[in-house]
Amino acid sequence: MDIDMSEKDSVFILQVENVCKSFPGVKALDHVTIEVQRGVVHGIVGENGAGKSTLMKILSGVYTKDEGTVIFDGEVIERTTPIQSLNRGLSIIYQELNLVNTMSVGENIFLGRFKEAKGMRGTHTKAQKLLEQIGCSIDTHTMVSELSVSQKQMVEIAKALSFNSKLIIMDEPSSSLTNDELKGLYKIIGDLKQMGISIIYISHKLDEIFDLCDMVTIMRDGNVIDSKPITELSREEMITKMVGRTIEKEYPERPYCVGAPLLEVRNLNTRKLHNINFTLHKGEILGLVGLVGAGRTEIIRAIFGADKVKGQEVLIDGKSVKIKGPKDAIRVGMALVPEDRKQQGLILSQSVETNITMAALKDHVKGIFLDKTSQKKIAEKHVASLAIKTPGIKSRVVSLSGGNQQKCIVGRWLEIQPKILIMDEPTRGIDVGAKYEIYLLMKKIVEDGGSIILISSELAEVLSMSNRILTICGGRISGEFNPEEVSVNSIMERVLG
Amino acid sequence: MRGQKTVKRLGYPILKQKAFLATVAILVIMIFPKTGFYTSYNLIELLKAAAVLEILAFGVTLTVICGGCDLSIGSTMSLSGIIAILLMSHVPMWIAILAGIASGAVIGFINGFFIVQQKTEPFIITLGTGMVIKGVCQQLTDAKPIAPDNPMFVKLANGLAFGFLPNVILVTIILMILFHLLLRYTAFGRNCYAIGGGYDVALYSGINVIKTKWMTYVICGMTAAAGGIMLSSQLNTGSSIYGDNTALLVNCGVVVGGTSFAGGIGGIPQTAIGLLLFSVLENAMNSLMISPYIQQATKGVLIVLIIWLDCYTIKRKNEAV
Repeated sequence: MDIDMSEKDSVFILQVENVCKSFPGVKALDHVTIEVQRGVVHGIVGENGAGKSTLMKILSGVYTKDEGTVIFDGEVIERTTPIQSLNRGLSIIYQELNLVNTMSVGENIFLGRFKEAKGMRGTHTKAQKLLEQIGCSIDTHTMVSELSVSQKQMVEIAKALSFNSKLIIMDEPSSSLTNDELKGLYKIIGDLKQMGISIIYISHKLDEIFDLCDMVTIMRDGNVIDSKPITELSREEMITKMVGRTIEKEYPERPYCVGAPLLEVRNLNTRKLHNINFTLHKGEILGLVGLVGAGRTEIIRAIFGADKVKGQEVLIDGKSVKIKGPKDAIRVGMALVPEDRKQQGLILSQSVETNITMAALKDHVKGIFLDKTSQKKIAEKHVASLAIKTPGIKSRVVSLSGGNQQKCIVGRWLEIQPKILIMDEPTRGIDVGAKYEIYLLMKKIVEDGGSIILISSELAEVLSMSNRILTICGGRISGEFNPEEVSVNSIMERVLG
Repeated sequence: MRGQKTVKRLGYPILKQKAFLATVAILVIMIFPKTGFYTSYNLIELLKAAAVLEILAFGVTLTVICGGCDLSIGSTMSLSGIIAILLMSHVPMWIAILAGIASGAVIGFINGFFIVQQKTEPFIITLGTGMVIKGVCQQLTDAKPIAPDNPMFVKLANGLAFGFLPNVILVTIILMILFHLLLRYTAFGRNCYAIGGGYDVALYSGINVIKTKWMTYVICGMTAAAGGIMLSSQLNTGSSIYGDNTALLVNCGVVVGGTSFAGGIGGIPQTAIGLLLFSVLENAMNSLMISPYIQQATKGVLIVLIIWLDCYTIKRKNEAV
């Protein structure tokens, strides 16, 4: 005998039944059915393009579903708007956090509900209380632009609480968090669960899914592949179901091509960095590990000439070079795959071809005009050799998946044959399959005689791919390790200082 | 304690404001030469000259905070004065004045329709509507100055409140306080900041972004019209040429004051000082009998200097070693 409707209501906070959504040319969701129980953490995993984001946008009311039923808290929901969803008790914390940077924390939490919060004073008192509820001590008068990513996330969570949310959906909440901050998030999620709030936790990071979730749903190509308690799934099973094929390993074999010293950095000092000295060898992958804000990205920016420095000496092949800006850095053979793909790496509205050829443009000039044929040839060469999945070289980069966008940037730099490729978080927000391809690419680059500086928040990635690891803490290099002989714990000790 | 905090919150940004420092610098410099600058007559004249521009700027500030701008205000200002003066011969003066202000609201509504509802570029759209309105003004007046029938009209701006303060200055001060409260302490005002700071965020937070932003253009049209009434009353004349340089000057003053064209930051006090700077500068240079050509160039230099200094400080802050 089936359980009757009212009993079912009390078990499930959210029931999605046979929901479909098509965009021109793509079936983004194909009869998706997911049931989320009350008071649990429900993980959703899947590669990019699996349909997770589309589903979330339908739930929040940004998109309208084509067919199917959504039942939230016992109420059938036909059409909804973001604000209606919030008022019903369904909050979404997006990957790109949704806060107004130029306004204070308190005002952000009660954005658009100024009257409800009883004016400015009420806004701040109430916001302070909500933040205290999740053990957070930010002053509500602080401008959001001054907060760290994890603090912004807490503000978002407090905002969700202010709507008396029954279900909070977190889309890739950990992608910019350090391990410590992640622990804080774990604790908050535990507290929310205690309050009887259900969580949908979307992540690429399987460790987190296993640590946090009670249930997990695996999506691929707009379909739900499986949905079961986490205890009934193994890691390998999950990966296989996500990618639809068996991936033997998450990482390729470590390359061993280390040769003579190539880049030597002496006495690098900036506002945030103190006395940085290190050497990068030919054919080496050098991993930089540290908390967000410890100075990893700053080191790169300083070497690359993007920040002002004092008293530094940079030697390449034993010769001193002056680097005053990115242009000089590129001239001496450096290339940067930046942390923020969309902001710093790509011109999203331009074609794959433009993005790939932009660094080497001066080599594609005939007289005073650009040589279209050679540009096209170069772009096609890289699309083929890097296996960039795109409808054509004239397609706009914005329509590509994260992994393929990243490959466009790598392709751009490979064209000028850099001696040193700096990769800042190269696999952030990229799914398992595409990650593996990026790793293979890194391996190929060092095997062809290049060197790589790898910065990553994923310790496993640095441990598996690099030949040597430097830990950064408080703007100083706090340790040097051989990744094959070191334990995660001893690295973390140095990272935390 | 609380007082201290308020002083810090309100006073500190003003003290760091380049326009404020420049204004103070000019005022200090003007102590030394023997001119008529520090006479009560001149100071009142200075404020009278600033008043109309300030009224226009309050409305423009709203649109700029929302991430837009309005270049049609100059013509709107001319039009409202002309409409009021023309109607005055047929209807009571206060109805004529209201009609003038209503014309501003209508223009703002049309601007808002194209910019907010149809999502077009505010810069070009308001430049275009401004040209249309200027044409209308010329048609209505045959491009000649027109004088009002009602002898009371000139008293509207020039009459003295409390026996010494011209009405136009009093109106400006009242509007300044009202607009400051509107932006700082009402849901509408805070929503403006939210829309300028993050349009999508505001949208998904349930703020009626279209209505709010549209409203800023309507209000901006109305302040431009109110400024126009004041100006026509001040000069006891309506003319289609009043607004020729006003729009750029006012938008520029707003930005020089510290309200960013990017949206989301700024405010009425900043705008008030930004515009005051221009009037103080002009008046000081007149007192010093500097040639109008040099005056023009000096104003330009000051604009470039202030915007550059603002960006330079931010750059230095981010790059400090």
